Amino acid sequence: MHHGANNRHFDPGAPTGPAYKPSEVVDFVVVGAGAAGGVVARELSRAGFRVVLLEQGPYLRAGDFDHDEFATVQLEAITNNHQSQPNTFRASEQEQGKVKAVVQYARLIGGGSVHFTANYWRFHEIDFVERTRRGPVDGADMADWPITYADLEPYYSRVEWEVGVSGLAGASPFDPPRSRPYPVPPLPIKSTGVLTERAAKKLGWHAFPAPMAILSQPYRGRPACIQCGFCERFGCEVGAKSSSLASMIPDAEATGRCQIRPFSYVRKIELDRRGRAIGVKYFDKAKREVFQRARAVFVCANGAETPRLLLMSGTNRFPHGLANSSGMVGRHLMFNCYAFAGGRFEHEINGYRGMVVTRVIHDTYELDPALGFAGGGGFDFRFDFTPIAFGLDGLGVDGPRWGPQYKQVLRDAYTRTVYALAHVSQLPVATNSISLDPTVKDAWGLPAIRMTFKEHPNDERLIAWFRARCVDLLDAAGATRTWTFPVGRAFPEVHLLGTCRMGDDPQTSVVDRWHRTHDVPNLFLVDGSSFVTGGRGQPTMTIQALAFRASEHAAAMARRGELGAG
Amino acid sequence: MSDNPLSRRHFVGAMATGIAATWIAGAWGHAITRARGGVAPLTPALSPAELRDLDAITALIIPTDDVPGAREAHVVDFIDKGLATFAADQRPLFEQGLADLAVRAARRHPGAQTFADLPVDDQIALLHELEAEHSEFFEAARISTITGFLADPRYGGNADKIGWKVIGFEDRFAWQPPFGWYDRDASRSE
Repeated sequence: MHHGANNRHFDPGAPTGPAYKPSEVVDFVVVGAGAAGGVVARELSRAGFRVVLLEQGPYLRAGDFDHDEFATVQLEAITNNHQSQPNTFRASEQEQGKVKAVVQYARLIGGGSVHFTANYWRFHEIDFVERTRRGPVDGADMADWPITYADLEPYYSRVEWEVGVSGLAGASPFDPPRSRPYPVPPLPIKSTGVLTERAAKKLGWHAFPAPMAILSQPYRGRPACIQCGFCERFGCEVGAKSSSLASMIPDAEATGRCQIRPFSYVRKIELDRRGRAIGVKYFDKAKREVFQRARAVFVCANGAETPRLLLMSGTNRFPHGLANSSGMVGRHLMFNCYAFAGGRFEHEINGYRGMVVTRVIHDTYELDPALGFAGGGGFDFRFDFTPIAFGLDGLGVDGPRWGPQYKQVLRDAYTRTVYALAHVSQLPVATNSISLDPTVKDAWGLPAIRMTFKEHPNDERLIAWFRARCVDLLDAAGATRTWTFPVGRAFPEVHLLGTCRMGDDPQTSVVDRWHRTHDVPNLFLVDGSSFVTGGRGQPTMTIQALAFRASEHAAAMARRGELGAG
Repeated sequence: MSDNPLSRRHFVGAMATGIAATWIAGAWGHAITRARGGVAPLTPALSPAELRDLDAITALIIPTDDVPGAREAHVVDFIDKGLATFAADQRPLFEQGLADLAVRAARRHPGAQTFADLPVDDQIALLHELEAEHSEFFEAARISTITGFLADPRYGGNADKIGWKVIGFEDRFAWQPPFGWYDRDASRSE
């Protein structure tokens, strides 16, 4: 590919768009240029507003991405760096946090949508009303969302058509109703997908073409996928993956009203005396502090950084952090659970070739109440091990670690291994949280993210059940050997959800149904933090649908003069 | 909560949180530039004798059989470059580990000056000894050998893409159906 050469003149640190002065009161400042922030910046600038989009990482272009696993994965080239931005972890509120890499997010324009696998499942109706339908769960704070699937459906369709999602409408008997088909057909099936179909058929289940935010055909000026195989954890070098970077950011720039400022690390949201947001303070690339004024503020910084920013923005008026009169900021942290098993097959699968997932199973999205646990999940088959990752961790817990036997497995396994992976619910628990570490600081002197987390017993039971089904699926697909792993959590986590919960009641939630904080009328939060429940994995599609909906509403409010002092 | 470095999120998790993290530790940005060859290694990190011992270790971790192993892939160059640049903070661990190994070699085989001088069976026994002791040096040597064997050749190991050939990874980065044996018919009918 020659895109690198074509893109050399782009400086990843240079702002683009109109040169607003920090002292100029723009209409919106948006914090975080990821899946949600990209949508918000595009929608608001297209609606005619002046927008400043701040992102702590660089502005890389498609041509900057390659398949260098060592730099991208092991040296954290496009993700948050745990040396300069340490996290701490503790299992309960009684403990002191210990430094541990527990949170991972893509730190660049486009955010997690740049390096994700691109599975784009809509949530189902049950995800919004599980509390009412299935009742409470001891030790969890199950709650209905203040919106339903029907409220969000038009925005799911917008996401599919505006960012570009491949799929086949009606292919899954479990799909919720939809108003439009997919804009482009599914990507071609791989051996992993054929094995998924074979397994599903034997178990009486249904495998259907995976909805993916990757283009199967040219669409809206972007090319089709070239099947390089490096979706998960890598950026797409041709722009076929429908990241914010590829799909939303160029539209925002085309308005001439959106300035994008990379390497802008926001530390505080500023309020006036009336308690309205007047802008944000951030460190620029040279670590100089800048105060950008705005009529309204959108925070789309992810489920860890969004609550952190609110907690860092405390004042005399808000001693426990901004927009936190409920005490709910940072609470109800969820990641989604995973269950999986490995299987070896007789013939070549070559799972490393082409996009990661081609078939999905949703027969277990809702489980029989007789099983006695909450939640559900879905499956795919994948082999997402890049070579180094495979050599270090791909051979199973009891696999050889060095020497002739290790070499033999290295030789045999890479092309003939597949993992059955279940994406599973995780319950919201108030004591699972993101907070500020009282002692550990990052390289800018700001408090480190502290995670407090312990699985709800339902999570562990659900993982164990789904793990057994993963083995069933691999057996049904004809694996010659299968293996599993102990139930447990492997940090760092990448789906960061639930920490600024949406709700109608200001005493139990942080944002209202339109993503406006209950406490600050011109402060909006939209990203994974808004989730009330975590769905069954694959949160990005829902994050973007929420972002389209929130932007539309905020634009209407701004037009009616309901935002900001001006 | 069980903390299982081998489970999913998996390889990334293990790399970022385990001993691997200390091995690959480097300043943000700086490490990438260095690692990608933007800055040439200042000087080789290890002495010729140390390199000889380290090469012998890598050759036991990923041995040569009827196909090449770590030695032919020049994994020792990868580690040396790393210790001179992005993994400079790991240099004392390797120097002390190799010195300790030389002492153990002499103890096991009077007259042996270095690990590399030992008969292979003795070398293997010594590595098992280190592994049983949960030696940090052994784990760093193991992880860096595997990493160097399978990393992009630009970092000095995986010479002639030997590591990739051994596992069956082709660096074509553009594929079309059929991808594997099981979709050979499916793709034709679609």
